[in-house]
Amino acid sequence: MKWFGAILIIIATTLIGFEWSHRLSGRPKHIRQLKHALQILEGEMLYSQLPLQEAFNVISKRMPYPVNYLFETLVKQMNESDAHFPEVWRKSVRLFLSRSHLGNNEAEILYQFGRSIGQHDLTQQQKHIYLTMTHLDRELEEARDQHIKFSQMAKSLGFLLGVFIVLILI
Amino acid sequence: MILDATILFQIAGIGIIVAMIHTILKQMGKEEIAHFATLVGFIIVLAIVINGLSDLFQKIKSLFLFQG
Repeated sequence: MKWFGAILIIIATTLIGFEWSHRLSGRPKHIRQLKHALQILEGEMLYSQLPLQEAFNVISKRMPYPVNYLFETLVKQMNESDAHFPEVWRKSVRLFLSRSHLGNNEAEILYQFGRSIGQHDLTQQQKHIYLTMTHLDRELEEARDQHIKFSQMAKSLGFLLGVFIVLILI
Repeated sequence: MILDATILFQIAGIGIIVAMIHTILKQMGKEEIAHFATLVGFIIVLAIVINGLSDLFQKIKSLFLFQG
């Protein structure tokens, strides 16, 4: 019985370590997907000159899970509510952030981007998209660094902490 | 009296694990946390040892001073 509990504790902390490491590896991935989505948005704006809602629809069909959720909720909320766009954007981004592994810096960048979207002519809008991409690039660099540095540590630290707790309790 | 070796193995195990945690944290450049982890390990081991020592003193007292 004692050994059963010990094994359970070790398994639990190891899983926590793996989850931490998964979170670290998810962040650069999601930032990259976000950048890809912005590129599609730029293309749709400049060349197809689609309205925002249709552009978001195109993006949500083309992107994988966490990012397409952002644009899906955007389309849905733009259909349903008649609030101002920055309000809708902020609400959707908040919903999206709880489902992705992004950090506070990316959230701030997204909020800032939401304030500029749909306010200017095409060239200004393109500049804003480039600015957001540059910010995201910087975050991507940092997230990748952290992933390389800490993901291995997170895994082994989880296991070791489990063994440590078991040794104290035994 | 047979010496109970469990406590020795326990302390040795804690020492090994704390050393490993220290090495990993130091490799990843988190030296302050590494030192903190070592300190926590040391305090835990100290608590265990003090427990044993207080047992010993209690026994000596009951042997020589005729107290419960």
